[in-house]
Amino acid sequence: MTYSTIRDILVQAEKQFGPEDAIRYKIGKDIIETKSYTQLKEDSERFSSVLKELGEQGNHIAITGMTSYLWLVAYLGTVNSGSVAVPLDVSLPAEELCELIDRADATVLVLDEIRQDVAAMVRERCPKLKYVFSMQKENNTKEMLSLRQSLNAQQERFDYQPKPEQLCTIMFTSGTTGKSKGVMLTHQNMAENATCLDMKIPSRTVILSVLPIHHAYCLSMDILKGISLGSIICINDSLMRVAKNIKLFQPNMILMVPLMIESLAKKLEEAAGLPPEIVKKEVFGEQFHTICSGGAYLNPAYIDLFQKYGITILQGYGMTECAPVISTSVSWNIKKEAVGQLIPNCEAKVVEEELWVRGSSVMLGYYKMPEETKEALYEGWLKTGDLGYVDQDGFVYLTGRKKNLIITKNGENVSPEELENKVAENRLVQEILVREKDGVIEAEIFPDYEYAGKKEITNIEDTLQKIIDEYNQNAPVYKRIYNIKVRKTEFEKTPSKKIKRY
Amino acid sequence: MFEKMVTIICNYVEVEPEKITLNSRFMEDLGFTSFDFMSMLGELEDEFDVEIDQQKAANIRTIQEAITYLEELQ
Repeated sequence: MTYSTIRDILVQAEKQFGPEDAIRYKIGKDIIETKSYTQLKEDSERFSSVLKELGEQGNHIAITGMTSYLWLVAYLGTVNSGSVAVPLDVSLPAEELCELIDRADATVLVLDEIRQDVAAMVRERCPKLKYVFSMQKENNTKEMLSLRQSLNAQQERFDYQPKPEQLCTIMFTSGTTGKSKGVMLTHQNMAENATCLDMKIPSRTVILSVLPIHHAYCLSMDILKGISLGSIICINDSLMRVAKNIKLFQPNMILMVPLMIESLAKKLEEAAGLPPEIVKKEVFGEQFHTICSGGAYLNPAYIDLFQKYGITILQGYGMTECAPVISTSVSWNIKKEAVGQLIPNCEAKVVEEELWVRGSSVMLGYYKMPEETKEALYEGWLKTGDLGYVDQDGFVYLTGRKKNLIITKNGENVSPEELENKVAENRLVQEILVREKDGVIEAEIFPDYEYAGKKEITNIEDTLQKIIDEYNQNAPVYKRIYNIKVRKTEFEKTPSKKIKRY
Repeated sequence: MFEKMVTIICNYVEVEPEKITLNSRFMEDLGFTSFDFMSMLGELEDEFDVEIDQQKAANIRTIQEAITYLEELQ
């Protein structure tokens, strides 16, 4: 059944599965807390009431934190009250988080207190922000409201029916110009993306959610699709504990990025001498059967490897601008070389080798970036930036990238220009090119030898390494530069004097 | 602690134990992916019976830094 608002997804799930478990999460070592579908709906409605009472209903609400029950309550309560949620990457540097909160025009921030540094900084840097909620505090303080206390003080009922075309979420994604762009998604974009394809996943399937919640893939497929199917969504508390949490929560299905699949493949191969069913039981548990892969391209060899252990990998493809799924495999119809089949609400065509897609999941545009929006959308078609083609059965094949964006194996999009601009702020760096090599980010630098001479810098390579180390210290893990190459000569240039990338 | 760590490290990356030093950097020198690194931290939690803070762990670059942090926790 296809739903066109996130509210409809939650309401029907609660009707059907009310008292049954919706969310499971750890509250201590090996201690699991559960919340039912009824609790999830009612708590999210309480948050809607909180926003209404504060006069913030309809405004932009930034949410940043690790995946948690309260994160989901805040998200669902925001979008289902007709307000706009702005999920932000909790691992970003404080300055960057503040810049995004401000640029998104957020008036409320719901904050995980692992980022206390942000709480202090927003007061100075985000003048439009009126309220900050803490996900941890038990009681209100002068600086922060307690999310729990505010929820407890509210009535259960909140009746509002958002319209499908209403903006509900702004998600930031790396832009090729180096400035991240706020992708504007409506209820219809997100709800139809999550529900238009019947993947024949039975209700009460146990899902372990391991990907970061601010990613469209996790939010759409783990959470919204999970709720629509009446799944039991288990929250992985840290990437450090995936193996332990698999044993604890006993999931049937996990959404992963290729990096995780490759790592787990090593574990399976280490035990290659043992019977496959025993290895699978040890690594994933007997009940486990499906991995959905997305975020970046997965080598099809892994599909065969996991199949030996009775695990199906369903490869998908998408981008935040398409809320995010464009194509996915289903268990009964897999073509290994393809990144799945177009989902029912999405059509595609190829324009000068580039894949363009159209349908009810294509974004409204980038928030307050008309130029970038014009570049990305043409008469309702979204230019994906990927080179590829679609076969007669709707299977999508990718052959390369048109834009410079680096897509790492953990599905993070990194703009090389952003990193280049930051590192080039140092005078010693005359020219720099950032790219991905063997799975890590590498920078090739042509230093300013004249400047080095003037400043009597004798060991240029060491000095450049220090510059990179300094940059890395403030950068999120996925934007760190792991290798440097020092050039003796300038880079070759294009006629417009830009460095030739390829 | 160093020896125990070397044994655990060798379960994740193909590197000769004698080439691992206190100054080895997990990702740059030993070739850890970010996910392997996180998984290894999970194993260290069990091995040394501590609870690692993920935010702090993100700043660990070398084996020496990891040992210092683990010693603080113990």
